[in-house]
Amino acid sequence: MNQENMLEIRGLNKYFGPTHANKNLNFSVKKGEIKGLIGENGSGKSTLISQIAGLYPSDSGEILLDGKPYTPRSPIDANELGISIVMQELGVIGSLPAGVNVFLGRTRQFTKNGVVSLKALNKAAADVFEKWELPKVPLNKLTDGMMIETRKIIELARALSVEPRLLLLDEITQSLSMNNRNKLYELINKLKSMGCSVIVITHDVEELIRITDTITVLRDGEVVGDVVSANTTPDEIKHMMVGREISGEYYRADMVPDYGDDIVLSVSDLTVPGEIEDVTFDVHEREILGFCGLSDSGIHTVGKAVYGLLKPSRGRVRLNTRDLTVKSASQALQNSMAYVPKDRDNEALMIHASIHDNFVLPSLTELQAGVGYLAPGKLRKLAQEMTDKLSVKCTDIYQAMDALSGGNKQKVNLGRWLAKDIKLLILDCPTRGVDVGVKAYIYSLMKEAKKNGVATILISDELTEVLGMSDRLIVMKDGRIADVIGRDEDFTEQSVIRVMI
Amino acid sequence: MKKLRITLQDVVPFAAFIVIFLFFTIMSKGRMLSAFNLSILLDQSVMTIVVGCGALFVVAQGSIDLSVGVNLALTSVIATWAANAWGDWLLIPVALIVGTLVGIFSGIVVSRFKVPSFMLTIAMLIGIRGIVNFIQSFIHTQAIPKSMGILSAPYIKYPAFVIIIIALGYVFEFTKVGKYCKAIGENETTARYVGVPVSLMKVVAFAICGLTVGFGALFSLSSNGGTSQQIGLFFEMRVAMAVFLGGVLVTGGTSAKLYKVLLGSFSITIIVNGLSLIGLSQTQYSQSIQGLLLLLILGVTILASKKIGKSAAPADDEEIAGHSEDQTAKA
Repeated sequence: MNQENMLEIRGLNKYFGPTHANKNLNFSVKKGEIKGLIGENGSGKSTLISQIAGLYPSDSGEILLDGKPYTPRSPIDANELGISIVMQELGVIGSLPAGVNVFLGRTRQFTKNGVVSLKALNKAAADVFEKWELPKVPLNKLTDGMMIETRKIIELARALSVEPRLLLLDEITQSLSMNNRNKLYELINKLKSMGCSVIVITHDVEELIRITDTITVLRDGEVVGDVVSANTTPDEIKHMMVGREISGEYYRADMVPDYGDDIVLSVSDLTVPGEIEDVTFDVHEREILGFCGLSDSGIHTVGKAVYGLLKPSRGRVRLNTRDLTVKSASQALQNSMAYVPKDRDNEALMIHASIHDNFVLPSLTELQAGVGYLAPGKLRKLAQEMTDKLSVKCTDIYQAMDALSGGNKQKVNLGRWLAKDIKLLILDCPTRGVDVGVKAYIYSLMKEAKKNGVATILISDELTEVLGMSDRLIVMKDGRIADVIGRDEDFTEQSVIRVMI
Repeated sequence: MKKLRITLQDVVPFAAFIVIFLFFTIMSKGRMLSAFNLSILLDQSVMTIVVGCGALFVVAQGSIDLSVGVNLALTSVIATWAANAWGDWLLIPVALIVGTLVGIFSGIVVSRFKVPSFMLTIAMLIGIRGIVNFIQSFIHTQAIPKSMGILSAPYIKYPAFVIIIIALGYVFEFTKVGKYCKAIGENETTARYVGVPVSLMKVVAFAICGLTVGFGALFSLSSNGGTSQQIGLFFEMRVAMAVFLGGVLVTGGTSAKLYKVLLGSFSITIIVNGLSLIGLSQTQYSQSIQGLLLLLILGVTILASKKIGKSAAPADDEEIAGHSEDQTAKA
């Protein structure tokens, strides 16, 4: 065996019922190596690292850590051997404060006579944040209600607090905004310089090539390629991932704003204390209005406030097509508005319910017959048609949502609104955690909606995405609108970043 | 007919019902199946089923209403008093209105002030019992007006029962109200983010539950002839057990189905009835045995649902033809 290999995996197999998630995988990570892992949704990436992190046992094959057999029974086991993970979907416990979440399951070290010393714990947690130069998080505050980004940072602190020799990062950059991504890159480099290894999973091919040393590509549970990052191109990786040529151009090709004169929605002086201030804008028919900004810019709050989920202290949201002021989400729902939240599993989907139930939920009002009758056949037809139309990969429409991969979940999340006759669509990070194939498909759905006259508010942490799709782009900073840029103006990353920072 | 995936979790309540049924049939040497006893069984189930179906709306949202027993007592006492004071016919509207108002009150407190329903309704359980005792301290127990005794006649009671259940079943399984209740139980945040009027739906669910308590009070008053000191005592437990024995999860959501309440109500009634049939009288072991049986069945149901949760990928052989909603219609 190669002495340099810190972790070596041979002939690994993992089944979930009839699904063969990992097929005879061979995989290795050297000491001090930054390893990229990429593949389409459902290709087995998360399954692989979950086994390394001790979350699932393997069905066959062997894992060697420093040349010795390694069979972790739990994540705590893995932690003790210096392996820790930041999961894609797991998150933190909302009813516990941030500090406790950092040392979850390992509070014994702060326990005296059966009482946990929160003071000592919070101090240790603060040390972790300091040591790794993580953005500050209020350690005494409950994590419930914290932004998805903040919660990810707490998870990262938890993973780092075990002083890992091998850190596993499952799609965390997509939950972070620009500024914190750069911090993460620095952190990864720091770990590398300390001789630690990192396995990074992300769907952003360019990012992956930039930050890793080598990349392993998975397809349908098998390794289809191992490449050195410096010697590869995004197109080569994408080709390996999907097994066919992917056209690099999935954004809009035109560089002129193209929308109707009718104003669908006008927002004036919208203020949510501590979040956004005096936000004023109009969205036109057929327009895609982009929103971008750093983590505390308030772009995500705009989406929630417009859909009536937050009570503004000032200002109003006026839906011109219906001549009404939006005051609540149920009103927005009844008046052809749609909202796709950023946090797919916690805010958007009923994760334990069926695909069928998730598809029909926003359309129930439209599906009603006399005396409020919802014919089961009608509901089934809608769910089946949309499942077919969006080619959601599933056994049938009664399958539970949590059995689907991220990309397929997102198809349901977005697709259920497209089954309705909507006038305004609010998208918050619609391509978070989905692979290039589904990403391209989501963009094509957006273009189709645009053609049908739908006005879209596109909120995103991905600059390339808002630049690629928007007619106009609103750049926000510290809760206020800093600039509005038209597609035919200086529409480049550099000019936007200059305004953002 | 569509294919339905039957899970272990769905099968356990049926299996439990059959086991309980067979056990007591054999132990009572067939006495349980006598025409007389069957009519008693049905009679004893009626109230549990009606209120259980109302409580289902609340449980589907992941909440619980433990005040149905005291609500039943309060409703009965006030309705009887009003009917005796101002006119026989007042019994029905007053019962329905008082029951519903108590429900609306719970719903408003739970949704506006974010008080967990469990805690609120326990407080109600104690508080309202106090009010009932207070009222009964000066108007004592009363009989309902004679003319209202007609409500217990089989040709009124059973058609009314069937109509109520069909109406509740319709609202729960085939309208937006039921679907929204389940959505709230699945994930309240999701429901809110989609645009479900969550606060309103909570009030509606508790109001429906209260309305069924009103019906329950009428059934109880007409068959007992009037109020008593014991009225509604431990009724909330019987209703909760019926709902959970039927296989509805405490977390609510899509596990909530009307047929499960019917099933659970029969199970609990057979347990109570069967124990007295085989001679284990109320005073001795009856309650301990009831408790043990419930623990056993609920334990198995929860184990089964945990097992489902772990195997993410469904196996095809679990699919059999059948449709849950048909069972509702049959029952």
